[in-house]
Parts: sequence; structure tokens; C-alpha cells
Amino acid sequence: MEDIILENLSKDFGGFRAVDNVNLTIKSGELFSFLGPSGCGKTTLLRMIAGFELPSSGAVRLGDQDISDLPPYKREVNTIFQNYSLFPHMTLFDNVAFGLRIKRRPKGEIKERVQEMLNLVKMEDQAAKYPNQISGGQKQRIAIARALINKPHVLLLDEPLAALDLKLRQHMLIELMNIHDAVGITFIYVTHDQSEAMSISDRLAVMNRGKIVQSGPPDDIYERPASIFSAYFIGETNLVSGTVTAVYKDYVELDCPDGSGKSFQIDSSFQKTPEAGSRITLSLRPEKIAIARNKPRHQDDINMIKGQIEDILYLGTHTQYIVRVGLLKFRVFSQHKRVYFDDKALDWEENVWLFWHDTDTWVVETLEGEEMPETELNEGGNLQRYVKRGKS
Amino acid sequence: MQNSLQTKQEHRKNLSSWLLSLPTLIWLSCFFLIPYLIVTIYSFLSPDIYDVKFEVSLDAYRQIFSGDYLRPFILSFRLAIYTTLLCIVLGFPVAYFIARAKEKTKNLLLIFIIIPFWTNLIIRIFSWRIFLAYNGVMNDTLMNMGLISQPLEILRTDLAVILVMVYVYLPYMILPLYSVLEKLDFTLLNAAMDLGANEVKAFFRITLPLAVEGIFAGTLLVFIPALGAYLIPQLVGNQQSLYIGQVITYKIKNIPRNWPMASALSLTLLLLVAFLLLVMYGLYRHHQKRKVWQ
Repeated sequence: MEDIILENLSKDFGGFRAVDNVNLTIKSGELFSFLGPSGCGKTTLLRMIAGFELPSSGAVRLGDQDISDLPPYKREVNTIFQNYSLFPHMTLFDNVAFGLRIKRRPKGEIKERVQEMLNLVKMEDQAAKYPNQISGGQKQRIAIARALINKPHVLLLDEPLAALDLKLRQHMLIELMNIHDAVGITFIYVTHDQSEAMSISDRLAVMNRGKIVQSGPPDDIYERPASIFSAYFIGETNLVSGTVTAVYKDYVELDCPDGSGKSFQIDSSFQKTPEAGSRITLSLRPEKIAIARNKPRHQDDINMIKGQIEDILYLGTHTQYIVRVGLLKFRVFSQHKRVYFDDKALDWEENVWLFWHDTDTWVVETLEGEEMPETELNEGGNLQRYVKRGKS
Repeated sequence: MQNSLQTKQEHRKNLSSWLLSLPTLIWLSCFFLIPYLIVTIYSFLSPDIYDVKFEVSLDAYRQIFSGDYLRPFILSFRLAIYTTLLCIVLGFPVAYFIARAKEKTKNLLLIFIIIPFWTNLIIRIFSWRIFLAYNGVMNDTLMNMGLISQPLEILRTDLAVILVMVYVYLPYMILPLYSVLEKLDFTLLNAAMDLGANEVKAFFRITLPLAVEGIFAGTLLVFIPALGAYLIPQLVGNQQSLYIGQVITYKIKNIPRNWPMASALSLTLLLLVAFLLLVMYGLYRHHQKRKVWQ
């Protein structure tokens, strides 16, 4: 088994650079995801690995072999297409058998292997049906069986769950992980859905404007975002930008947009301490922040800020509070644990304390030319992002 | 209660559709069914110099079945088969190209296909005569270019007939092929290539099977008219190889006339076409039955 290596890979469409100098090694057997908004170049990248697009520069390598210029039918790479692309004029059996028939394998072998594949995806009793007679989830399974029958080194999955409804999506995600474990080959998964990518991947790469912004294991990217983009694209976050006015041991003082000086406690053993005078952005995950009516007991490693509740959104698993602190707004996720709130629930306009551990104040390097996303830190921001995610 | 209401509604629907098709039915019976009845009756009568004698005779059919007219039938079938095959082979790439073109270019290209229909058929055939003639445009050009030393004798050959037939009937093949290829999901070809099929295999296993309906429709539109071709063989063909359409015409035009023979030949051709239609319909139904997928 061989690694997939992308070397200085770029793709231009006319004047538009869809993929911009990507360098990456995807290890053999890994379940790797490319995650990014639509138009970030992730599908183009996938199509270059599959052979549907030729790179403008750079190379795609499978182990020692440069496969950049090979046509799709000569690559030991198979694809699950977004709309499955099952052949409508063939039975499910014939669909799965297609790859072997092209290779002119003997009939007995074809029958055996197709059966094996149909068993793998639990579709053995539907072989005689046609693609239009089965559901979306079943089409998905057949597409997987069809792609795996050629025993590829790598399976590419292009937004494979986008067409399914939520419950089925969650179910298929687990199924995909089981299939990955069963066949043991490299899976490269492309999605714009961060929860999908986080739950399924061994490692993932966050992409924006043709570039890989950050790559690593999901928890690493979530807990330690390397840029503003990965901080706000993966999960929810509060971003606070400002100029560092003073640095103490485990303290930074920020000149915040509201003109107030605020100090944030950070753990310098956990991350690099920024220099005074530099512009930085802090990322505070909403679920890391605790909210309470009474001032908590002072502790050395705890940040504390006083604010006022502006909005409350009840979401079942948790409640989202929007808390105004001066001109800043913080989003806070809190579960309804009666252990904490045995008194009456928090209400609109109430004055509250927000507090979080110093390791959760994550200093994000502001990359050259990177701007704060408009939807963040303003009132409608939260809701807009919920709507956006639900749509596609 | 609801059921009876439904059946009532269905009755009314049936009645209205009958009423609406009544004018067509009357038209067809007057100008199609009754003439054919006359043709049928004529085919069983005896010939006279100008007209028919009302004496029952099976001579016409006897001659047909003894094989006297086998040659024109074979020639016509051969012409229809060649024309259809050439139209498929030449029309497919054109239809494919148009189907894959950008939306705006598509319409423009389709107009180009349709433009010849705006000119009268006879005028178009005559221009081919001028083009193909012994000292016509084509020979002049080729001689001037030094590609040939003597004019080619193409006009008045079977080749000229096929050439012009294909020219006239090509749009009838392109349009139905275009309409199926336009609906074809081209990512299926990507999928086939991803699974190991090269361009040729992908074409024969995916594109062609999914275009079968267009080929059926195009064949229907080309083969059957080509079988009865008269005008084109008459204008660009020769008198040594007469097609069935020409033979029928001569039976009526040349004196002594032979109306019963012409009628019997027409009827035989009609029955052959009807038989072919049934076969094609059967094939199509077979294809549809397998094709539960649309």
C-alpha cells in the first residue's frame, strides 16, 4: 500500500486559481478529509487525484509513481460521486460488476466478487433491481461496492452524504467508518460539513481559497486552530481581535474594538505568548465558557468577565446565551445542569459572570491579509451561520 | 361513493377525448383509409391501356410472388439500410457535439441543422445535380486542384443516390439523437472511466445503450421514408437500377398503364413497412420492459 503525495499542486481555470500550491502526504490506510466552504478548491483537488483534471503545475504521486498525467482509467483510485452516478440501464449487480467486466475477468470470479461486495454493503438481496428502484442510502451503498470491487489503493468520496437526510447521514457515516476498517485502504473524503469531517476523519485539512489552511487530527484543529478561518469554520467560536498593549506572565492585555482595555489570562506553557504591540485574535469556544449569576470564587487560572444577557436561544441539548460585554458580544453554550442552576433560570437582561480556564483562551495567529469574518461578533451572526449550514 | 365519482369523471374524460379526435378520424378515413381501399380493390382487377377492366385477376400478385419485382424491392431495402446506417454513424457525433455544447451555441447549432428545411426539397436536389455533374462544381474544383485528371462520374450512379439521401435525411436522425443525448448525464461517463473504461468502452457501454431510444426514433424517421424514395433516385440516379417507388410510378405513367400492378406493388410495400413497424415496435417494447428505470 502506498501514500498519496501532493507536491506543489496547483490548478488554474482561466485566470482563477482553484488549487494553490498544495503540499500534503496522505498516509496509506488513512481516512483523510478535505473540509472547506464551496468553491475552496477541495473538489478540484479530488478530481486531480482521480484524474478528471490535470494539474497546472505540481504532481500527484501514489507512492513512488507519478500519476499526474495518467487518465482516470489507469489509476488505482476509485471515486464515489456526489450523485452516485449509478448506470441507470444496468441492474445493481451489473453496476457493481462493471469494473471487473471492463477488465474481462472470468464470469465465476465476477459473480463471486460482486456477491462479496454486495455482502459488504448489505445489499445482497437487491442485486436484480435497477438504480431507480432503490433509495438514496441504498444507492450510496451500491456506489461504494462498485468503487471498491477494483480493489483500489485509494477511495475518493466527493460529498457522498450531501443528498441524504440527517438521520441517514449519521447512520451512513458510521457505516462508512466500518467499511473503511473492513477494507483497510485510504479514504479521501471531501465535504463542507465540519461535523461530518470531524467525526469520520483520522486527519483533516481545512481549505480556503485553494490553499490548505491547516491540517491535522480533528481535535487538534478544533482545540488549537491555526488561523481565524479554521477557528470559525470548524465549530462555533468567539473571536476577539485587538492590539496587545501589555504582556505579563500568563496575561495579555488587549486593546479591544470597544476602546476598553481588557486583560485575558492565557497559559504560556500551553501556547506561544504574543508580543506587545502585535495584533492578535483570541478564539474562545462557546462551550468552554461558563455562565453564572454570582461571581465565582477567585482562582489563578480562571478568566472572569462581567456582562449582560442579550439573547437566549433554547436548542435542546444546550442553551445559547448571547452576552454583551461592553461593545463585545460573547456566545456561550450552557447545558441545563441542575447541579449548577438549582436556583431559577437565567433571564434576559440579567447581569452575569462569564468565566473560563486560561488554556481555553486560544491565541490565533492572524495570517497576512486575513480578515475577520463579517458574520462573527455581531448580533445576527449566530443565526446566519445556522441558516447557512442547514441549507446546503 | 368516491369510486363512482371517479369512474364518472373518467367516462367524461374518455368521451371528450373521443370527441376531440373526431375531426382527425374523419379526415383520415376520407383521405387515407378510403383511398387505400380503392388501391386494394384495383390491385385485384385487370389492366387496360388507360384504365382498369372490372374483371377480377390475381395476375399482379402472381407476378410479384414469382419474383419479377424482387430487384427493385432489394434495391430499395439496400438503399434504406445504407441511408439509415450512414445517418446514424454521421449523425451521432454531430448530435453528441451539439448536446455537449454551451446553451447558447446549442441553439445556434440546432438552427443550422434545421435551416435546410427552409428550402424546397427539389431545389436542394437540383443543386446537388449541379454540384455532382460531369462538368459540375465538384469536378471543376478537383480538376483545378489537380487531384483528378478526369471528371468523376458520380451523378446518375447509386452512390449519388445514397449521398443525396443521407444529405436529406440526416437532420431526421440528428434531432432525435440530440434529444436523448441532451438528457444524458455525462458524469456517468466519468464514473465509467473511473472504473477502468477508456473512452471507447465508455461510449459502447454507457452512451450508446442510453441513446437507444433516439436511434429507434431516428431509424423510424429515416428508414421508412427511404424505403419509398422516388424523387431522389429519379433526379440523381440512373435508369438501370430502378427503386420500387420509381417502378410504381412508371406503371401508372407509361402507356399501356398497369393500375393493378402499381396498386399491388404499393400494397406490398405498405404491408412490408407495416411488418417492419411491428417488429420495431416489438423490439422497442422489449427494450422498454427491460428499462424499468425511467
